[in-house]
Amino acid sequence: MRMGKGMIFLVFVILCGCWDRTEINDLAFVTATALDLSDDGNVLCSLQIAIPASIEGGSRSGGEANQFFIISAEGKDGNEIHRKLQKKSSRILFLSHRSVIFVSERLAEQGIGDILDIFTHDPRNRLKTYIMVVKGGEGRNILKMNYPLKQVSIEAVKEMEISGEDVAVTLRDFFMAQASEGVHPVVGTIEPDVHSKDTDKEIFNFAGAAVFKDFKLYGLLNDKDTMGLLWVTNKLKTGRITTNLHKGGEVGLVLSQAHSKIITQNLKNAVQFKIQLEGQGSLAENTSNLDINEPKNLKIIKNELENAVRKQVQDFLFKIQKKYKVDSVGFGQEVYKNYPDKWAVLKPNWNTMFPKATIAIEVNLTVKGAGMVHSSFGSQDEGDEK
Amino acid sequence: MRGFKRGKTKKYEDKLKMKGTHLEEKNEIEFTEEIEQNEKLLKEIFLNCSDLEYRWIEDQANMRCLIVYINNLIDEKLLDEHVIKPLLIRDIPNEANDLKNKWISIGTTNSSAKLSDTVRNLLEGHAAVLISGSSHVMTVSIPGSSKRSLDEPSSEPVIRGPRDGFIEHISTNISLIRARLKTSKLKIEYMTLGELSQTRIAISYLKGIAEDTLVEEVRARLLPIQLDGVLDSGYIEEFIEDQPYSPFPQVHSTERPDVVAAELLEGKVAILVDTTPFVLIVPMTFWTGLQASEDYYIRWPVATFVRWIRFLFINFAIFAPPLYVAITTFHQEMIPTNLVLSIAASREAVPFPAMIEALLIEIIFEALREAGIRLPKQIGQAISIVGGLVIGQAAVQAGLISAPVVIIVSITGISMFTIPRYSFANGIRFLRFPMLFLAGTMGLYGIVLGFLGIILHVTSLRSFGVLYFSPITPLKFTALRDVFIRIPIWMKFRHSIKPKSREEGN
Repeated sequence: MRMGKGMIFLVFVILCGCWDRTEINDLAFVTATALDLSDDGNVLCSLQIAIPASIEGGSRSGGEANQFFIISAEGKDGNEIHRKLQKKSSRILFLSHRSVIFVSERLAEQGIGDILDIFTHDPRNRLKTYIMVVKGGEGRNILKMNYPLKQVSIEAVKEMEISGEDVAVTLRDFFMAQASEGVHPVVGTIEPDVHSKDTDKEIFNFAGAAVFKDFKLYGLLNDKDTMGLLWVTNKLKTGRITTNLHKGGEVGLVLSQAHSKIITQNLKNAVQFKIQLEGQGSLAENTSNLDINEPKNLKIIKNELENAVRKQVQDFLFKIQKKYKVDSVGFGQEVYKNYPDKWAVLKPNWNTMFPKATIAIEVNLTVKGAGMVHSSFGSQDEGDEK
Repeated sequence: MRGFKRGKTKKYEDKLKMKGTHLEEKNEIEFTEEIEQNEKLLKEIFLNCSDLEYRWIEDQANMRCLIVYINNLIDEKLLDEHVIKPLLIRDIPNEANDLKNKWISIGTTNSSAKLSDTVRNLLEGHAAVLISGSSHVMTVSIPGSSKRSLDEPSSEPVIRGPRDGFIEHISTNISLIRARLKTSKLKIEYMTLGELSQTRIAISYLKGIAEDTLVEEVRARLLPIQLDGVLDSGYIEEFIEDQPYSPFPQVHSTERPDVVAAELLEGKVAILVDTTPFVLIVPMTFWTGLQASEDYYIRWPVATFVRWIRFLFINFAIFAPPLYVAITTFHQEMIPTNLVLSIAASREAVPFPAMIEALLIEIIFEALREAGIRLPKQIGQAISIVGGLVIGQAAVQAGLISAPVVIIVSITGISMFTIPRYSFANGIRFLRFPMLFLAGTMGLYGIVLGFLGIILHVTSLRSFGVLYFSPITPLKFTALRDVFIRIPIWMKFRHSIKPKSREEGN
C-alpha cells in the first residue's frame, strides 16, 4: 500500500512536469512595442528586444555593443502580427517584461480599439504596461532611439513615468477609464527631442497628454494643460508654478502637496461644478523686489500665484470643453457618483451638455516657507543700504 | 505510522524474550572452592588472550591467592600499591569479605560467585583476587585505560559559554553533568548493551522534573536492543527513534555538558553511551534543532535576532536553489526586468538547463564538503582553494555554469552552517535535492507541493510522544517565548515540553 502511494506520487512528478519549462536563454525579452500606421492602412508593429549579453558589464562587451534590436511586422490584427513577429525571432517572444507601448499619433487618430483588443485577452500581456502616444512621429523611431542613460531606452521611459510629474497611464487605467461611466481616457505623450539632433545621442521629451474618446485621439494637451488636468483629477504629486507679478519680476513655487475636490451642484436642468484646488509649497524663485519677510508681500505673491493657477486650469478646461468636447476629467462621473438618478437622465445628452456646463474654479494655495533665501538678492541689497 | 508503531512494539517484545534466554545460560557457571579449578575456568574463557596477567601470591601458611587482570585496562600503580602490597605484607585471609574489609584500600569492589560477573568486571578494568578455599571472587576497580583530556567540542563551538565537552569515557561524562546539577534528584541508571561490546549506557534524568512515563518509555525502548557492538550513540539513536525513515533527527545528540544539563532541567532524558562523546537527549523537537546553547548565554535581544537569522536561513537552505530554478525556468515574469536581463546575460553561454546546472553545483558542493571533512587537516586548505577557485571562478569563466547559480549555492552553503545542530543540518541539507527536482519539473507548484510535504511530515512526526513541531502545533502560547524569541531568563526559566501532547495529538 505504501509502495502504491509512492508510485502514484512518482507518476505525478514524472508525468506532469516540464511541459512549459523554458530556459531563460530561450526567451526574447520584449521591452517595448510601437504601433504605427503603415501606408496601406495596416498596423505596423515593432518590438524592441533586449540583447542580454551586452548588459553583462565589463570585460565581455567591449565597446559600444547594441543593447537591443528591433523587429517589425505588418498586419491587420494583433494575432496575425504576433505570428509574423514570432517567425522573425529565433527565440520565444516573452511579453511579460514589456514596459511600454507607443502608439503613433496617426494611428491613434484612426482608432486603436481593434488593435488593443489582443491586450485584453492574452494573459502574457501585462495590463501594467504603460501606453503612450508619440506626438508628431512614428513609434518605431522612439524605439530606435539611442538614449545615453540606460541600456534599454525603455527603462528610462518607465522610470520617468514613475517619477510622477507626468501622465502615467497603464493599459489597465486606459481600459478602466474607457469602460467607466462619464469619463474618457487620457494618455501620456512623448516626442523625440528636436534640440539635440546634432549629437550622436538622442533624447526624448514628455509632451503633455492625449485626449481619447471611443479609442480615438481627439486632441493633444500641452505641458501646462496637463498639469491642470493632473491637479483637477487629484493626481498631481509635485509641480512648479511660475507667474509674472504685476509690479515686475517673477515668482516660482514648488508644490509639495496638491489636492482637489470637485463639488457637483445639482440644479433642475443643468449641473454646475465647483473645483476646489488646494496646494502647498515653498517659494523657489523670487526675482521681484518684494521682501517676502513681510506677510503682506507674501499675500500678494500668493494671490498672484493663485490667479496663475486659475488661469492655467481655465485654459485646460476650455480646451477639453469647447475645443475637443471630451470629458477627460470625469465630471460626468462625479454626477454619476453623487446623483445617479440625475445621471440616468443626463447620460444620453452628456456629449452636448458637457461643453455647456458651468465650472467654477477656486484655488487656495499655502505658501509654506519662503525657501532658503528669504528675499531675493536684489531686495536684500536694498535693505542693507537702508 | 500507527501501524508501524504497533509492529515495532511486537518486534521489541520478541527481542526481549530472546535476550533473556541468552543471558541465563551464561549465568549458570559458578566458581568452586578450588583455586586451581577457578584459574582453569578463567583460562578457558580467556584462551589466547595474551594481555591477561595471572599473578600468584603465597604466604607462610601456604595460603595461595591469585590476582588476575588485563594489564592494558588497569592502573598498575594502583594495583601494586593497594592490592599486591597489602597481600604480600600481611597474611592472606580466608574469606573474600575479609579481603575487602581489611586488606584492599580501593573504593569500588565487588564480590561474586558467578563467573560471568567476574569476567565482565575484568573487562571493565577490574583486577580479580581469587583466594584458595573461597568460592567468592573479589574484583577491585582500578581502571587505568587512557582517555583524552576535556576539549572544546568541535561540532558545537561557542564564543561565550562553557568550553568543556564530553569525551569517550562515560564516568567523566557523568561527572561533567553532576558538576552542573549537584542534586540527588539527578538519577543515573546504568545498563549494558551490545552482545560483545558490553557497552555501558546510562539513562540520566531529574526525578520529579522528567515525566515518569517518559523515563519508563526510554527504558522500554533501550532494553530490547540487540546488537553485537555499540560503538557510538548513533547505533542507539536508530533503535529508539520513532520514525526511522525521516530525514529529521528525532533524538538530539550533543557533545556539550551544559546542553545536557539544560535539557535535563527541561524535563528531558539523557542517554549516555560509553566510548562516545555524543550524548542522546529525548524527546527532541524541531525547534531544538535551531537553538544553540549560546542563545542562553548572550543577551536576549541579540539571541532573539540570531534566532530569526536562523529561521530565515533555514528557509534559504531548503528553498533558495529550488526557487531560483523554478522562477528562471517557469516564471520569468516574476523577476524585475533589469534582473532578468542580467540573469539572461549570464546564462547566455551556459549549455545546461537551470535545473541541471543547479544540481551539478549542489552535488559538487556536497562533494567538497564531504572531502573537507574526510581529508587530513593539512590538505583541507588545498581542497578549499581548488573548490573555491575551480568551481567558483573557472567554471563561470568557461561558460559551463552561470554566476547566479554559484551565488545561490554559496548562500545555501552558508545558510546550512547557521543551523547549530549538526544532525539537524544534515536533514535539512538532504531535503534540498528532492525540492530542486520538484522545482525543476513543476516550478513554483512543485515547490509548494514539496513545502506542504515537508510540513505534513514534520507536523506528524513524534519524538518520544512529543509532537515534533510543538509548541507550534499543537499551539501553546506560553511556550512560544522560547521559540520565536528568547525571553530574558529572569522572566521564567526554560519551559519544559511534556509528552502531554501525545493524547492531544492522537
